[in-house]
Amino acid sequence: MATKWKAALCWLALAAAGFGLINVLIGVGVIDTFIENMLVTIGINIILATGLNLIIGFSGQFSLGHAGFMALGAYATAIITSAMPTVGGFYLSVAVGIAIAMVVAVIIGIPTLRLRGDYLAIATMGAAEIIRVILNNLKITNGAAGMFNIPALAGWPTVYVMVCLTTLMIVNFARSRAGRAIQAIREDEIAAEASGIDPTKWKLAAFVMGAATAAIGGSLDAVYIQTIAPGNFGIMNSIAILIIVVLGGVGSMTGTFMAAAVLGVLDTVLQSFGALRMVIYALALIAIMVFKPSGLLGRYEVSIRAWLDRKGVNNAASNSNRAE
Amino acid sequence: MPLLTVTALSKRFGGLNAVEAVDMHVDEGELVALIGPNGAGKTTLFNLLTGVTAPTSGSVTLTVDGKPVSLLNRAPYQVAKLGLARTFQNIRLFARLTVRENIQAAMTHRYHENFLATVLRLPAYYKKEALVGGWTDALLEAFDLTAVADLAAANLPYGTQRRVEIARAVATQPKLIFLDEPAAGMNPEETAALTALIQRLRSEFHLTVVLIEHDMSLVMKLAERIYVLEHGKVIAHGTPTEIQQNQAVITAYLGGGVHA
Amino acid sequence: MQTFLQQVINGLSLGSIYALLALGYTMVYGIIKLINFAHGDIYMIGAFWGYYVINTYHVNFFVALISAMIISALLGMLIEVLAYRPLRHSPRITALITAIGVSYFLENGMSFLFGADTRDFPQAVAQHNYHVLGITVSNIQVLILVTAVVLMIGLQLIVQKTKMGTAMRAVAVDPEAAALVGIDPNHIISFTFGLGSALAGAAGVLIGLYYNSIDPLMGMTPGIKAFVAAVVGGIGSIPGAAIGGFVIGLLETGVQAIGLSAYKDAAVYIVLIVILVILPSGLLGKNVKEKV
Repeated sequence: MATKWKAALCWLALAAAGFGLINVLIGVGVIDTFIENMLVTIGINIILATGLNLIIGFSGQFSLGHAGFMALGAYATAIITSAMPTVGGFYLSVAVGIAIAMVVAVIIGIPTLRLRGDYLAIATMGAAEIIRVILNNLKITNGAAGMFNIPALAGWPTVYVMVCLTTLMIVNFARSRAGRAIQAIREDEIAAEASGIDPTKWKLAAFVMGAATAAIGGSLDAVYIQTIAPGNFGIMNSIAILIIVVLGGVGSMTGTFMAAAVLGVLDTVLQSFGALRMVIYALALIAIMVFKPSGLLGRYEVSIRAWLDRKGVNNAASNSNRAE
Repeated sequence: MPLLTVTALSKRFGGLNAVEAVDMHVDEGELVALIGPNGAGKTTLFNLLTGVTAPTSGSVTLTVDGKPVSLLNRAPYQVAKLGLARTFQNIRLFARLTVRENIQAAMTHRYHENFLATVLRLPAYYKKEALVGGWTDALLEAFDLTAVADLAAANLPYGTQRRVEIARAVATQPKLIFLDEPAAGMNPEETAALTALIQRLRSEFHLTVVLIEHDMSLVMKLAERIYVLEHGKVIAHGTPTEIQQNQAVITAYLGGGVHA
Repeated sequence: MQTFLQQVINGLSLGSIYALLALGYTMVYGIIKLINFAHGDIYMIGAFWGYYVINTYHVNFFVALISAMIISALLGMLIEVLAYRPLRHSPRITALITAIGVSYFLENGMSFLFGADTRDFPQAVAQHNYHVLGITVSNIQVLILVTAVVLMIGLQLIVQKTKMGTAMRAVAVDPEAAALVGIDPNHIISFTFGLGSALAGAAGVLIGLYYNSIDPLMGMTPGIKAFVAAVVGGIGSIPGAAIGGFVIGLLETGVQAIGLSAYKDAAVYIVLIVILVILPSGLLGKNVKEKV
């Protein structure tokens, strides 16, 4: 069997095992509501941060407006499920949220993606703030008070499946024609353009893809927390997602998983510290950055396929040794 | 009809005429060299022809499928797609990507991958990857890069980096390739290997080559025709023998500070 | 016409606060390409220091202002040495996250130590309103505007006329070349942080006087607005930051005056995006194109 299929099966088995494990742990009471909450938050953060890592780590575009796209998904879900409080309504709202986020990403991206580095960051931050201000003033979104009593249409299993699905899509996107094009632009835009790659088109592709996954994260957040308000999608929320990406290692999806988990656990553990919580969090953040400037994992990725390849080579080598 | 026709091309930067009323043409299959002292406007001319910089006036026409196509007001990626590839004076590789990825990135416009097939890894995706993998392997082999295919471009020795850059330009499937000082910084052995490689671009890949170079022995060995640029103007053009005897060229090189 | 002039006066007062803050952002960015997220929190510390010395020692406004500037400068330099200097050669995004960490630390540290509640800033200068041509100008507005302009002129003199200023500009253009001619970049970067932080501290005391209320999170929004101002003006450009600050201040008060106060932040960001799309490096920034 080809290594690629073996690797895919391994990942599938791993995902299924994880699902089973959580199920069992909830059954025997090791995972209580408190920990389940933490796991769901970690899952949603993974969805948000892998999308942002695609934009920042792979296409090299510094976006600081991720919470804006998250808000679009969250509000699409809140509004649609208030009229259609069914699972079907939820999935429809996810699709609508994705579509809106993609359209808005195109509208924001076309003028701003020509900007470089920090200028782009500040422009995308501004765009996200504009989204927030609009949500804050519309009737249909219930203004600054936000929307509550959103039906609980997704529990941890939905979030788990969505984490797997979005990660699969983002990682596969990053390792394809599209991924090579966006990484070429990140490395050297002038050379990429001279090689026939349209920088605007591919930067936009990564940006739109990231926005779409952010909308999924927002939709899940809405039905899980059941309350949303414009204040949940401000600059500080975009920064929180950015922190996960940088802490894990810009360009490492494995790192994003790890950072989301570490921060999720840290946050839960620090709950009992009261007012000191954020002080410790801030110090931890500074310390990690000063002592591990490239993030927890740098650019490292876990790859079952590479591991199988290595094993294959070793086996072949030991086989040939035996033959001698 | 020549492959590339440049008519009265000018570029002014403020008060400076970087390129002034340049007329030149390149016929299919030719190897043309562009020489001139430092600051003569050679790279600026390349940038004008490849869409990096917009000219102040003049016209640039490329023959595509027998029809003349103006290259003015086209972005560099559009010029590349039309069949004009280039390398850079200061090597510009995709540093953290492997050699294979460098080559494949330059093939982006030559194939399409369906989005759903890509993210869900459907058979159509593997078929496309196999096709592109085949093109890549052939090119890596032809440029003697198979052994370093999976190394990051930044970690290669200088001479190899130059070769990867040329291979990457060829990967765009051009008709015409511009090489900006490919022999700069090379030792004699590397230069000799490069000379053979440039000859193969024509014999094996059927490419038309335009070359900026300061290494006169390389130019005289390879070029069929030479344009000499000084202060943005073409001061002479002709065969290598004609250029070697041209009084204006000798003055330009020997009069205004020795070079070459 | 009168309401218009009135709004201009209000806008200039607010704008001078933004301008003072924006100068710190632009100088630090100009020299080490760092968006110093903690800058707004230095302004908060400046305000708290002013509150403390006026309440405890009953000093007059100028003593409070000068001492707040000194304390803020020292704090800014300390933060640079502890948190940013170790990251001088790390990816810029790492330094940015560290700056965010420092910002969280200052905000939450102050909340932890002194409580998160809002408090009244002491009236160190009794407010008088002057009525000129039908518009109302308070002595505090005049004081803010005059102090801000004096500080900006002082800064311009330091940057343009002193040896230190020349060295700052040299390091901003090319740190390695500056080091080769004997300038110690660390020394200059420290000085830049000190200078920028002093201005932020001054802005903190001025805003306390103007709005009469301070709290540990007061630096967040003005900090971001001031950074936007610096970008609008062309980040790295000192006159640009001053102009950007006044533009944002006038814009905010203007939008508020026409009854759209709910949209004042959106207006600021729309102007930001429009300016960047037309002028990718802001009003006075230099657009450096990469050489091919």
